[in-house]
Amino acid sequence: MDRAMFAAASGMAAQQQNLDVVADNLANADVAGFKGAQATFAAIGGNAQLGTTSTGTRENVAQGKLMKSGGAFDVAIDGTGFFRVERDGERGFTRAGSFARAPDGSLRDGEGWRLATIRIPAGAIDVAVAPDGAVRVHDAVGAQRTVGRIALATFDAPERLRPIGSAVFAVTGGSGMARDLAAGGDRQPKLAFGMLEKSNVSIVESMMAILAAQRAYEANAKGVQAADEMLRIANNIHRS
Amino acid sequence: MDGIHLMATALAAAKSRLDVSAANLANVSSDGFHKSLVRATLTRDGLVVRTRTDATPGPLRRTGRSFDLAVAGRGGFFVRTPAGLLETARSRSFDRDASGRLVDDRGDALMGARGPIVASADATIDARGIVRSVGRVADRVATIPGTALQSGFVEGANVDGVREMVDVLGEQRAFETAQKTLAALDEERQKDVNDVVRIKA
Repeated sequence: MDRAMFAAASGMAAQQQNLDVVADNLANADVAGFKGAQATFAAIGGNAQLGTTSTGTRENVAQGKLMKSGGAFDVAIDGTGFFRVERDGERGFTRAGSFARAPDGSLRDGEGWRLATIRIPAGAIDVAVAPDGAVRVHDAVGAQRTVGRIALATFDAPERLRPIGSAVFAVTGGSGMARDLAAGGDRQPKLAFGMLEKSNVSIVESMMAILAAQRAYEANAKGVQAADEMLRIANNIHRS
Repeated sequence: MDGIHLMATALAAAKSRLDVSAANLANVSSDGFHKSLVRATLTRDGLVVRTRTDATPGPLRRTGRSFDLAVAGRGGFFVRTPAGLLETARSRSFDRDASGRLVDDRGDALMGARGPIVASADATIDARGIVRSVGRVADRVATIPGTALQSGFVEGANVDGVREMVDVLGEQRAFETAQKTLAALDEERQKDVNDVVRIKA
């Protein structure tokens, strides 16, 4: 059929997709540890004037701002790496450190993801996390002991992790396998206890992206209209 | 060539120009896209349309990812395609693959002085293409001499939405004009045929 109409329609679809991704970023702008994404597009067939097609999304893995949260078990990573978390045998990786103590002694986030390798014993009061990830508790008589170390993981290509929760990611073929990452030393990430990493979504940039996507959508809609108008004129040639 | 056929080529030319404008508009969000330019020339065979790619650089957009590379001004850098071909590029988004090489989503690898660049996750690339890892020089990006690299940026499409919209309008009206002219010519031809015959009868 009509090349111009197809091209313009592909542009409308692309801007729709663009808007979906920006809207998702904005909706999660207040979710701790959330990583914004960006939709990417490329011309069909190099530049054969056939329109545009989506080439997927890219996660922006830049660190969000750390802020004091006041949560009793909140912990943030200052530097690279991810917390290892588990849920029903499934493994995930997150930078959202908003955990709460579950009845079984594990530390879980709001979606039920459990911080791997850490269990707070019954009767423990006053939990603290050191920059190297060591979790120390005081018991009722004031004795301090270390109950475990928070395990961090790192990847060759963290941009290619696949989101499986609001801020939890899973390994993909592109990301490479999870490797252990030590914390606390020089040039190593440090754990910040009582802090949370905010999302890395910029509201201003997202609003600008919405405006641009909306206008681009309109422009492509006009392209469809123009192609349609030409077809109408062409159909009337023999009558006039 | 008579007027009616000339107008037919004018209609086709306006249509081809719309095809190009629509494709340019569709790619306004495609990073690194270079728009097509159309030029219609009047020849013995009527209007003939030629397209070429506009190599004007697009605007640089900040991403903050250190392995997003763009070129400020003239120049380019070299990538190797999965088929083994060496190509120049002006803007790509690279990620580290499992062996630490910088590869974009098409599988093209960024080339350095000694083959594909292998970089650590915290490596930085400066304007001259020098790759530093933990303060040490690790490699240098292979570039066309005189290229200024910008890490943390990608080149957006060089499509100007306003101009393309104006072109779309112009093309639509050009199509209409050709159709009206065609109709007028047709009417004249009709008179020639019918009225001339009537006078003689």
